[in-house]
Amino acid sequence: MSASLYTTRRIKNIVAMILSVVATGIGLLFLAWILWETLSQGIAGLKPALFTKITAYREEGGLANAMVGSLILNVIGILIATPIGVMAGTWLAEYSRRSKLGPTIRFLNDILLSAPSIVLGLFVYTIVVLPSKWLTNGDVTFSGIAGGIALALIALPVIVRTTDEMLRLVPGTLREAALSLGVPQWKLTVQILIRAARSGIVTGVLLALARISGETAPLLFTAFGNNFMTFNPIDKMPSLPQVIYEYTKDPSPDINTLAWAGAFVLTMFVLALSLVARFVFSRSKVSHD
Amino acid sequence: MTNMNEVASKPGFGTSAHGSDVDLGQVPAKMTVRDLNFHYGEFHALKSIAMDVPEKKVTAIIGPSGCGKSTLLRIFNRIYAIYPNLRASGEIVLDGENILDPKYSLNRLRSKVGMVFQKPVPFPMTIFENVAYGIRHHEKLNRTDMEGRVEQALRGAALWDEVKDKLKQSALGLSGGQQQRLCIARGIALKPEVLLLDEPTSALDPIATSRIEQLVEELKSQFTIVIVTHNMQQAARCSDMTAFMYMGELIEFDRTEKIFTKPNKKQTEDYITGRFG
Repeated sequence: MSASLYTTRRIKNIVAMILSVVATGIGLLFLAWILWETLSQGIAGLKPALFTKITAYREEGGLANAMVGSLILNVIGILIATPIGVMAGTWLAEYSRRSKLGPTIRFLNDILLSAPSIVLGLFVYTIVVLPSKWLTNGDVTFSGIAGGIALALIALPVIVRTTDEMLRLVPGTLREAALSLGVPQWKLTVQILIRAARSGIVTGVLLALARISGETAPLLFTAFGNNFMTFNPIDKMPSLPQVIYEYTKDPSPDINTLAWAGAFVLTMFVLALSLVARFVFSRSKVSHD
Repeated sequence: MTNMNEVASKPGFGTSAHGSDVDLGQVPAKMTVRDLNFHYGEFHALKSIAMDVPEKKVTAIIGPSGCGKSTLLRIFNRIYAIYPNLRASGEIVLDGENILDPKYSLNRLRSKVGMVFQKPVPFPMTIFENVAYGIRHHEKLNRTDMEGRVEQALRGAALWDEVKDKLKQSALGLSGGQQQRLCIARGIALKPEVLLLDEPTSALDPIATSRIEQLVEELKSQFTIVIVTHNMQQAARCSDMTAFMYMGELIEFDRTEKIFTKPNKKQTEDYITGRFG
């Protein structure tokens, strides 16, 4: 081949390389910028009171009740979504093979995955918050439970999807090998397939948790918010994203700083979850047991 | 094809389509296949197969890719049934019962007919558990008996000496050849009567391959073995009977020696001599 052909290729290669490096750089720049902005703006608000005092004290207060509320809401959401999601995902991957229902449900699940979260919030408001009036003498009907259910609806399709995909990644030969020993389908599923896909499924649950911990919209009409500390799930429940949302709109600069501090804490929490998820998933490649 | 049907209709075993003499004539048939047809959806993958698989002998199935040899093997333990739109019709008689009868319990069939696959597929468990897992499903054994059975199976698969000190380690840490022998151990641990091997050495290096072939030679004293292979030398080396398949039909089925020296059909000869396939 001629030398000029090689030169052209080398130039094309260099151009392509530069373009991808620039694209990666732009992505990383914004990520670093976001992290830097939340850190630099929030650092003034990062004091012990942030974790010990509640939002009722406004400028002199912290976000303790919002953090506890977020934790409770997320736990409720994940506790509801995980068993349903893992079972539904297992059914899709292992049992729906012979029916037309499988692809349909997979499609509907994808719709739920991309449903606007505010719509899910309104849905829970209609089917949980309004009918639950009788529980609370027609008074307060917003609750942590309702918020948790709304978050569960967001986490659910994520968990269904990852469970389904992780199980479908398990090689078919493993199924055949177990079935050829006369092992029944349910034992194969529970004792071998879920075990083989375990770390992928755990990763999916952690990512779903990261996803819901930043949700604001579905909590507006469900958990509602609360300026006091509460551990009671049938009480109105504060949450970190919602406090950030409200504090950002506040005219007081001190309150704005608290919002930044909250944003920083939330970002760190999600970052930590993602790192744990990565760790769990990467460990699985070394050994399945 | 009519010739093959005639073979199946004759009693006993060993008369070939062209009536050549066969010294395996005394060997009873373990499995008798009659007019077996198989469809993948609309595709007619196996066309009225008939053959007698001799007891405690090694039967090799050879043929070019896509000829249906693995498909045939996968009907012998009905593993194909886990996929939709696959249909088998006809008869496969094992110990006097038709295993294709939907009433024939899969559980029982699979305890009688074991299978080893192309790629080694250890379960994500310890070496011990890999062997014990299948046994536990069919029999309740106490700890000592179970340990004995696992050891026996691992010895039978010529793997015991290599793994006896690491039974509690993950089976995924074994080499490919060791994993495949573990899969054989797992299969023979159930004490099956028939052992199906689906290209068991195609993913292995020559040394591991020769160990598996040696093992096949040893195992045939206890089991009826059916092996599908791409490797004609392998079929020639380790089988007693060879079936040549082409395009979903059983072209010729005879003593291995005969198939490889003076086959009756031109297609067989062409394949053996490398003129096609």
